[in-house]
Amino acid sequence: MSSLGSKILSTLPADEEQFPLQFSDKVEPSVVEVLRRCRKQLYGNAACASRRLNAQIILDVSWERLNTGTWRHVDKEWRRVYSYGCLFKVAALCRENPSQQEILEAVRTCDMGLLMGAAIMDDILQVLVRILQNEISETSKDKEKSVEVVAKKLKTEGPRSPSIREEKAVPRIKCPSLESFSTNYLLPLKPVILEGIIDHWPALNNHPWSIEYLRSVAGFRTVPVEVGSRYTDESWSQTLLTVNEFIDRYILDEISPDGGTSRGYLAQHQLFDQIPELKEDIRIPDYCCLGEGDEDDITINAWFGPAGTVSPLHQDPQQNFLAQVVGSKYIRLFSPEDTDKLYPHQSQLLHNTSQVEVENPNAELFPEFSKAPYLECVLEPGDVLFIPVKHWHYVRSLQVSFSVSFWWS
Amino acid sequence: MRWFGFGFNAFQQIKTLKNPENSGLDAEERLSSPTELKGHVNRDGRCFEFSQIRASWSRRASLHSDDAGCVCVAGFVNDSCRGVIKQSRGCRDVFISESHLTLAFLDRVECWDLQSSDDTPSWTMGIDTQSKSSAAVNLPLVPGGYIASKPPFFHSLSPHMQAKSLALGGEHVILLTATGAVYTWGQGSHGQLGHGGLLPEEEPRTVEALWGMKMSSVSAGGWHSVCISDAGDLYVWGWNESGQLGLPSQRLRKTSEKKTDQQEGELSQNSSTHQEEVFISIQAFPALFDVTPLCEVKTVSCGSRHTAAVTTSGDLYTWGWGEYGQLGHQSFSSSDEPQRVEFFRAQQLRVVGVVCGPWNTFAAVANEEGLAPEHPTKPLNKHGE
Repeated sequence: MSSLGSKILSTLPADEEQFPLQFSDKVEPSVVEVLRRCRKQLYGNAACASRRLNAQIILDVSWERLNTGTWRHVDKEWRRVYSYGCLFKVAALCRENPSQQEILEAVRTCDMGLLMGAAIMDDILQVLVRILQNEISETSKDKEKSVEVVAKKLKTEGPRSPSIREEKAVPRIKCPSLESFSTNYLLPLKPVILEGIIDHWPALNNHPWSIEYLRSVAGFRTVPVEVGSRYTDESWSQTLLTVNEFIDRYILDEISPDGGTSRGYLAQHQLFDQIPELKEDIRIPDYCCLGEGDEDDITINAWFGPAGTVSPLHQDPQQNFLAQVVGSKYIRLFSPEDTDKLYPHQSQLLHNTSQVEVENPNAELFPEFSKAPYLECVLEPGDVLFIPVKHWHYVRSLQVSFSVSFWWS
Repeated sequence: MRWFGFGFNAFQQIKTLKNPENSGLDAEERLSSPTELKGHVNRDGRCFEFSQIRASWSRRASLHSDDAGCVCVAGFVNDSCRGVIKQSRGCRDVFISESHLTLAFLDRVECWDLQSSDDTPSWTMGIDTQSKSSAAVNLPLVPGGYIASKPPFFHSLSPHMQAKSLALGGEHVILLTATGAVYTWGQGSHGQLGHGGLLPEEEPRTVEALWGMKMSSVSAGGWHSVCISDAGDLYVWGWNESGQLGLPSQRLRKTSEKKTDQQEGELSQNSSTHQEEVFISIQAFPALFDVTPLCEVKTVSCGSRHTAAVTTSGDLYTWGWGEYGQLGHQSFSSSDEPQRVEFFRAQQLRVVGVVCGPWNTFAAVANEEGLAPEHPTKPLNKHGE
């Protein structure tokens, strides 16, 4: 067994008897039988191909369940089964002198379990991915670097940096007290930009979030990427890429598979649950304590993309602090009181999204839109925008941008 | 009839391991080439052939009409269930799901829990042998409705539907009426209902795109639907993520690209060099599908993510997900184009029927030889081009 194989085994229970495989009866006995075979092989001497096949059977059967019914209704047990499949596959990949290719595949497998599965055995996939990242050789990293050296320019788009008219500007306030924020903005549900409240974030200080830093922390990690100009478009889709691939293909000028017409956006992803090292670079704004929920109920999303990414005008069911870390974004806000002028889609799926293209509205189809009052701003690094619950917002990035949103109630 | 099986065999539901202790041989967990199923040998030592086979993920049920209609279950069974199911004598039709075995007799239908060692079925329903509709047991159809895979078993159907046959998909149902009309209901998020959208239907809804064309059989997979018209044309709709509709699948091409890259020892960083090809992930309306321009489709069956069709010339074509060998082409790749299973031609066997389990395929072969003349196997185009 390789030293990596031993390291991995040392994170697992000492023997078969202590390795838990408990499931509700939602999981059929035949599936549990295959899981038992995987566990037996983990502590035994079976051939590599057989281990991989049994792990793959678990992944395939649970994948089918994860795709049955709506995601919300997928039984958590099947997500656990999927995570076990990832665990057994990683163990099989790394047992005997894994190649760099196999190590990267093992990292990807951990990520699939973290993205689609549910935590098992004290979040063992997190433990394993950390061990695996240390095994990624310098040669693999150098390969990535050589691509970067060639790739110089960040994609720059956005000559159209809008000038903000004073009467339409979102008000700005520096480090307000909890009480004044609550009285003047939270309770009356008024948008405001809070300045100076994230200056202490490591992401803006000793661990500044640059492309190089993100590559070093998360380059080989797999993340979901939205491809297409906006999510209301027919050609919009989601794909999985490593952070390196995403940066090369959609952030830098280097590789443009289709002449650079399609955009990629790492959007609305709970990246900080997946990659805890990045979570240490940010802090939950103190003002969230004014809400009713626990800290655990706060959803933190990452938004990382090139210039020109657009989030169509939409509303969310929670309060939002949108913190800008890298680059700038143009944002326009409409009050929910003016919803009647914003022409939301009728369908169940998109009823929180407006049909209007904010910066290019069709006045014939949407005549009332021009009458809707709004506020606008350009959000810069260090700014935090408070978007009150149900407030309509439209976002376009003006440069390569990295924002962090906090949804709280 | 002789039967051949290929695909998922991790529970020995197709072929038993010679040495069960030797778990190192993954060659037996998936079979990429058709393997003949051993006939059933009864107490008197006589060998009987199977008249019908049905398969669930981990098991295979076979019906032997000749031997007083008894049923055998192979695969993930405990010892008491192995071999003939004693209580199955006189059985006329069989259906199996991952949790239950359904047996249809002349005067009753029974559902047995495959995990319990109870002596009695967990559910039973009497059939009125006097009424005309007693002939209409075509599982999962029963008089008055159909039997689902798990409790509650019985679902009623309006007699106005004149249900002739019914297939249960992963989360949808497809029904064929005596007049040749097709109805679907259930979940629709992958286009499997064929109504043009992604919304579910609680009640049977007619597939309007097929209106006016008489269909003669229907089949349902995990997330796709297939039917054959009276004229022998095939219609497909639903999810195409592994090419199970026989339409170009992007996911399939990307995976095979990644595999070739890995074999060449490179990280997959290539940009796509495909020409302007249109990939289809979800087909929400029925599409006419040309399996082979040379002859008609006689019968079709769907697995979870693959499809198998038998032509009037006695050939078997398969397409879709193939990672467990369920396409029968002696490989573990998937395909979004129909390919003939050459094994049967090579052995000069005429395929007369096919039944798919979720991850495997069972082909029924006629005993006599003598086939239609050899046809070339060039890549086949679709949509009647």
